[in-house]
This record gives sequence, structure tokens and C-alpha cells, in this order.
Amino acid sequence: MSKVEQYGREAAPARDREVEEELYARRQKIYPREVHGLFAGLRVTAVALLLGIFYGLPWITWSGRQAVLLDLPARKFYIFGLTLWPQDFLLLAFLLIIAALSLFFFTALAGRLWCGYACPQTVWTEIFLWMERLIEGDRQKQIKLDKAPRSFRKFRIKATKHTVWLIFSAFTGFTFVSYFTPARELAVRLAEFNLGPWETFWMIFYGFATYGNAGWMREQVCLYMCPYARFQSAMFDDDTLIVSYDEKRGEPRGPRRPSIDHRARGLGDCINCTLCVQVCPTGIDIRDGLQYQCISCSACIDACNDVMDKMGYPRGLIRYTTQNALQGKSTRVIRPRIIIYGLILLLFAGMFSWLLATRVPLQLDVIRDRNQLYRETGDMIENVYTLKILNMDNHPHEYRLFVNGEGIEHMRLITDRNPIRVSAGAVLDVPVRVRAGEEYLKHRSSRIRFRVSDVTNPDLQATEKARFLGPLP
Amino acid sequence: MQIWDTTGTIPRPQRVAAILWLSFLMAGIATGIFFSLIDPMELKYCVDFPEVNRTAAYSVGFLLFWLLTGTSSMLAVFFTHPCADGPEAPHDSPDRN
Repeated sequence: MSKVEQYGREAAPARDREVEEELYARRQKIYPREVHGLFAGLRVTAVALLLGIFYGLPWITWSGRQAVLLDLPARKFYIFGLTLWPQDFLLLAFLLIIAALSLFFFTALAGRLWCGYACPQTVWTEIFLWMERLIEGDRQKQIKLDKAPRSFRKFRIKATKHTVWLIFSAFTGFTFVSYFTPARELAVRLAEFNLGPWETFWMIFYGFATYGNAGWMREQVCLYMCPYARFQSAMFDDDTLIVSYDEKRGEPRGPRRPSIDHRARGLGDCINCTLCVQVCPTGIDIRDGLQYQCISCSACIDACNDVMDKMGYPRGLIRYTTQNALQGKSTRVIRPRIIIYGLILLLFAGMFSWLLATRVPLQLDVIRDRNQLYRETGDMIENVYTLKILNMDNHPHEYRLFVNGEGIEHMRLITDRNPIRVSAGAVLDVPVRVRAGEEYLKHRSSRIRFRVSDVTNPDLQATEKARFLGPLP
Repeated sequence: MQIWDTTGTIPRPQRVAAILWLSFLMAGIATGIFFSLIDPMELKYCVDFPEVNRTAAYSVGFLLFWLLTGTSSMLAVFFTHPCADGPEAPHDSPDRN
């Protein structure tokens, strides 16, 4: 079935009124029922791992410094042993391209894996649902509580829930800011009520975003805010892994006792218990076919498998499958789409690795002295420059400075100190004078090249072009 | 004419997201590119730039970018409203004047 048909199926006239009501009606709150099983277990593992990384990383130290610190005030990103400067912008851009391409690749291969297991929205919603369940009880109790008239008990439970949510969100906001200001320092200043205005602002901003998105907005973020949800179908084809209901096996659906032979009575395997709908975090019915609201969290698979076990039917009435497999055709994993996405991904990953491996933590800038074009000292012509040496490494280095007049013989570089020491992560301005004999100058302006190289490791070097000016020859 | 209900069929959260959220993402990208090329501390040598620390400059820069991209999104949403007697105005639009 093509994508158009999948979505077109929803446009049946009987549905129109339903869709219209859905668009105009106030949003119905969704109460996802708790689910256990293989995929729920996988998701809990992913949630624990990802949140563990997010909340734990700022507290890890790496050679005397916070392991991951995006030190915006100092314009340096520390990522374990690596220090990135604004000059390394290209690396960051490549990293973002690689992330986007990986998303394309895995979407083509296995559908919305990202949405179901790794998206921050899913991860935080999961933990907020867990807190809600601890305080308000299971799905039935939550629905009952919301329907109940105002009472002290209702107020107490709701107030407790929001307090716990807000405390957790505040901690999340703190953690977010601690990626930019060292966590330990931030904790001390927070305890002393001595935070900067912008740190406070971003802590509250991120905290409220967490509280709003994971506590209130939930599936609406996926439906209305997520660009990926809108265009992911472009990466889908009939060989993409999707969560799907086996219509041929399930229909006609209907209730029955486990003991009867339902086939003989003309019934399919679906007992219409609606558990798949109750567990769905986006509130859809998977039995209506593939829908863009489905985030492939596979909660319905776990719920349905449980029911199939209880009924004594084989598992997998709702399962991970492909459109081709559902139609009895074979599924191809290796196909042009996968190969093309894979190759582009490999290309960018290769370029990124090459950039990172050949990255020289040293940069040289040359600024000409603006006051004087040139100076004559005897039969020599002299130009004055300032060399900006940028040591982007984590250790101090001794550098030697050279000049190479391209085609100009006996050009000399004069400076107070050579070699010169530049401490770790520092920029040093070095005034230099360059002299050449007037008889060697063929043009009024000649191209020269400055070079700075490490004393112990001459391969660590940087060069920069400049202009050498003289009188008319 | 309702400014916010552009076609009468888009739910409110979607309209709010189209304005605030997408402009937020774009403002983030713009801030990243702008400040990786330009150090706010060096701006004060070129133009009359107030003496602030970098964190404040980045934050204000981001909020200004957001204001800009947000305004653009808001106008885009506003301009998707069908013209009163335009050929594409839906005949069954509930808020058609």
C-alpha cells in the first residue's frame, strides 16, 4: 500500500465529521495506561541511560575540569580531552549534519526508533508519567480523580503532583545551565543565593519548558511542534519497519470467551479489548492503520501480546513489521534508499573524522602595522607586523617563528624572543620586524609567508600569508 | 477577520507552535552561527556597544533573534489567511466575511 493510500484511507466521508470535531473540540486529556513487556523494558532502559547521562555528565571531572563544559563566556567548548574554539565551527556543523543523516538512515531502516526510545520529549514524558502514577495511582484512578468534584483530597493530590514535577523541572533547569557554568560552582552559588541574572533566567526558562512539555503538552509536542514528525514519512517506504496491526489476522474483531473456537464463529484474533488504545501515549487506535501520530513506542505491542498470551493465541497481532511483509511479499533490508543514505552518512562521518584527526591546535594571524607602509634602514627595507599566535592545545608550547619571502632572498625576521612560549589556551600578540635587501625586491608589494612551528614537534605548525611593501624598484 | 485563525481548520496549539517554536529553533541556529563568528567583546571596538559580559550578550542576542524570527513567523501565519474574495478562499469557511 502506498503512503497516499495509507493516509487516504482516513479521508473516508464517514470520518470527515469526526476529524472536524477533533479539530474544533477541546483536546481530550490522554491517560496512557501502564504497560509491561519487552519494549516497555527497552524504553525504561533507554530512559534511565539517557537521563543518567544528562543529569550525571556535569558532575564528571576530566583532568581537573568538568568533562563536558560548553564554556560560552570563555568561547571554548571542553569535551573530555578535546577543546573546541569558535574556529572549529566547521566540526560542529559536520556533527549536526551527521546527526541529521543518522536520523534519516535509521528512519528508513527501522521507522521512528528515535521517537519511541530516544527523543527527549518521550524520555521526559515517560518520567513525568511515572511520577504522576506514583502520586495519583493508575489510569482508572487518574480518570476518576479528574472527574471527581472539587475537594480537599483532590487539591492535595494535584498540589503534590505539581510540586514534585516542579522540583524535578527545577533540577532539570539547573542541570541544563550546569553545561554552561561549572556544576559545582553553580551549586555553591545557588546555595548562597548568588546566581547571575542570566543563569537564573535560563534555569527558570528550561525548567518551565520541561514542566510544560512533559507535564502538560505531552503528545501535542509530537503532533504540532515536531518538524521530524511531519517529514519522517518522506523517508518511509514499504520495507521500513513499522508498528502495525495485522488486519487480516485480527478482523472481524469482537469479544468472545477464550474456550470457544473463534475461527469457526467467523471471528478474527482481535478481541476488541481496546488495551492497545488505552496504552497509547498519543491516543490513537493502531488498528486504523499507519498514522502520523504514531511515535512507534510499541506500547500497544506489549499490551496486545499479553492479551494474546491470556487467550492462548500466538503473539504478534500487533507487531514490528513492514508493509511488504503484511502483504505477504518479502522485505528487502538492503535497498537503494538504505545504500544511498548509508553512503552519504559514511562520507560525512569520514570527513568529520579526517577534520578532527588533522586538526592542528595552533593558529596564526598576521596584522600589518597600519602607521607605516615600510621603513628604510640603510640599504634594507623593513616592514612591521603583529603576529597573533593562538595555542588551542591544553598544554603550553614553545614556538619558533619563521618568515619566507617567496623569491626574495635573505629575508630576516627580527623579534625580541624567538622561540616564544604560549601558555595553554592563550592568544599571544608578538610584534615582529621583517627586513629584506632592497636589491632583492622585484615588486612594490611582494607575497611573503609567516610560519610558526613547535620547537619539539615541528609537524605542529601553522602558516599565514602577508604582504611585504617596498619602494618602486 | 480573525488574525489567529488563518484558515479556520488549524488547531490553536499548532498555530502557536508554528509561530513560537519554529522561530525559537531558527533563533538558536542564528545565535550559534552569529556568535561563533563574532565575539561580542570585540563588537565594542567597532560600534557603540554596551559594556556587558558575554553571557548577557549571548542571551540578549538570542532573544533579539527570537523576536525577529518570531515576527517573521507571525506575519507568515497572518498572510496565509485567504484574501476576502480571492479565488482560493474556501466557500465553506466558517469565519468568511
